Amino acid sequence: MFRGVGRRTALTVLVSLTASLLAACGSGSDAGGDLTAEPVTLRFSWWGADDRHKRTQQVIEMFQKKHPNITIKGEFKEWNGYWDSLATTMAANDAPDIMQMDELYIASYAERGALLDLNESKKHLDTSNFDQKALATGAVDGKQYGLPVGLGMYSIMVNTDLLAKYNIPVPDDTKWSWDDLKKIGEQVSKAGGGQVFGVQSPGINDAAGLSIRARQQGKAMFDAEGKVVLPQEIARDYWQYILDLAKSGIAPSPSVTIEKASAGLNQSATATNTAAFGLWWNTQLTALTAASGAKLKLLRLPGETQGKAHGAYYKPSMFWSVSARSKHPAEAAAFVSFLANDEEAAKILLTERGVPANMKIREAIAGQLKETDKAAKEYLDTVPVSDPPRITPNGASTLDTILKRHTEDVLFGRTTPDAAAASFIKEVQAEVDAAK
Amino acid sequence: MSALDELRQLRHGSVQVRKRDNKAAFWFLAPWFAGLVFITVGPVLASFGLGFTKYNLIQPPKFIGFDNFVRIFSDERLHNALRVTFTYVLVSVPLQLACALGVALLLDRGMRGLAFYRSAFYLPSLLGSSVAIAVLWTQVFGAEGLLNRVLGFFGVEGKGWISDPDTALSTLIVLNVWTFGSPMIIFLAGLRQIPAVYYEAASIDGASRWSQFWRITLPLLSPILFFNLVLQIIHAFQSFTQAFVVSGGTGGPSDSTMFYTLYLYQQGFSRFDMGYASALAWFLLLIIAAFTAINFWAAKFWVFYDD
Repeated sequence: MFRGVGRRTALTVLVSLTASLLAACGSGSDAGGDLTAEPVTLRFSWWGADDRHKRTQQVIEMFQKKHPNITIKGEFKEWNGYWDSLATTMAANDAPDIMQMDELYIASYAERGALLDLNESKKHLDTSNFDQKALATGAVDGKQYGLPVGLGMYSIMVNTDLLAKYNIPVPDDTKWSWDDLKKIGEQVSKAGGGQVFGVQSPGINDAAGLSIRARQQGKAMFDAEGKVVLPQEIARDYWQYILDLAKSGIAPSPSVTIEKASAGLNQSATATNTAAFGLWWNTQLTALTAASGAKLKLLRLPGETQGKAHGAYYKPSMFWSVSARSKHPAEAAAFVSFLANDEEAAKILLTERGVPANMKIREAIAGQLKETDKAAKEYLDTVPVSDPPRITPNGASTLDTILKRHTEDVLFGRTTPDAAAASFIKEVQAEVDAAK
Repeated sequence: MSALDELRQLRHGSVQVRKRDNKAAFWFLAPWFAGLVFITVGPVLASFGLGFTKYNLIQPPKFIGFDNFVRIFSDERLHNALRVTFTYVLVSVPLQLACALGVALLLDRGMRGLAFYRSAFYLPSLLGSSVAIAVLWTQVFGAEGLLNRVLGFFGVEGKGWISDPDTALSTLIVLNVWTFGSPMIIFLAGLRQIPAVYYEAASIDGASRWSQFWRITLPLLSPILFFNLVLQIIHAFQSFTQAFVVSGGTGGPSDSTMFYTLYLYQQGFSRFDMGYASALAWFLLLIIAAFTAINFWAAKFWVFYDD
């Protein structure tokens, strides 16, 4: 008898403990409710380099001054570590409240239910100054899982100092072709005598180069349903091009190419002045100019006038997303709104995360931009584009690593461009199917 | 009691445990034991369950029976990872033990500054699996690294050793061989246990140093060699950090440094397929268990216990 009572008491205590714990968990606000006056701590994580950390920290302090009850804890990492840690913290139900999100991963996280539909916090998050097309890039199935931060465009960056040194004129980029790039690259490599190369090989770190080739032919990597529709010939020609660059010495040897690409921006051939042409995001102009110390210029992509459509498009450089499990979604949304709409904040952040997607902010900071930032903005404002591709579907967030492995296989002669193309398409499709 | 004596006694079941010692030991072990149960055993058991599910880390796991285990047999990239891992284990462990034994024999002859040399050779194995050393490795074997500078001195043109799939794995094998310190220390302890009278008797009989090594040192050291072999094989199968850092987490170039553990990690945390990753973890356990069993069986033929 006594034991029975003892057990029941224990059970009661346990139940009430659990209940109070649950209640404690549930004390957060809901996404559409009012902002609390209670002290709140939000975690905010992003990837990037030192310059970004400094600017972001300043903006966090500005926000905290306006909202003394809200503390924002910034967490930052480099790109690879960022995604590893996001995957593990999500699994542990310990994800940051606000996170910097990428196009590659947004569908994977959204479709697994990890992200908040920002429309639920419309009350705190002003999106009125965003172009609808730009907003749509952060939506999956009509739900706004990410607010685009900045826009970027793929471009060819040319080192004009190197060209001047070798007496090679800067090419006319309004109607140049991929073959023209090869030809001028060959001239540079010849003049460079094994120290300086014409082109830094694309296709190592991301799939955008391949996507652009497909778009110029009026094709795409994925269709609206997320099925892989990339024609095999386009992928084959893409890898054949890269292989030709390596074989003819227009690009450095494969092992050097792979090593430089993995070592990060500061060790890239463009940053170390060892290649005259490279495929980069236009917004990386400032960082690369600083790293190389040379004069760099943004050129339009080759092949834009020979094909059926413009390969170029506005790519949201990143998004602000809020965790679906955040205990304070309203406050998190308010912070995102501050990042996206506050002019003072924008004057610190400038174009470091891309040319602002918020049109009003873009104009507000125009006067403060450095020469290279201005060039990046001008590129975005003037170069013709077509509609952006579908965002990377759920399951295909490994797209870039699959592409890189195939590029390596081709460069080191372990497979032919044709076999690589077939294998790549098959593997990406399998990834998309597996996530369903 | 020396390690060697203890090994002998364990083998003959002659270790007498005193009860009081036992109790004290329990209290000293308790914190470790609690950690083992809650931090290791729990998740290990959970991973067994997850091996039978489709689990993307966020949504609740879905039971799918043996699908994950069946997939192991058709997954070509996994088979490549197995090839890479086996090559790594079967090449680097014997080389590492040979180095360890060689250096231990040299040091055992007694020299001035022995303590210094012992520490100097031991140091790499403390650092070997650290991120710092893996980063250092990329500096040594990079296109503009130390190795190529040395080669350039002799007029040989190098390449990016780590970023070429033909040589990337070799650099990791060299890294593992370089960390021979901990088996070396164990060998040294073993060498000290061999009674000097054997050598004295042998040299009076005119045995050369070479035959002394083969007929006295090696047989008497074989239990230690066996111990090192088992431990280092298990250790090598579990290698992860070196490949992760050197390849930037990709296992590249061309999957040439794709260790089993790295592949498992990618399945779990890049592809969000924790069910398959769990199945792979258990499969690795089977592989290591099989290797260890073979080792113990083979030991009957070459390990000599001096009773």
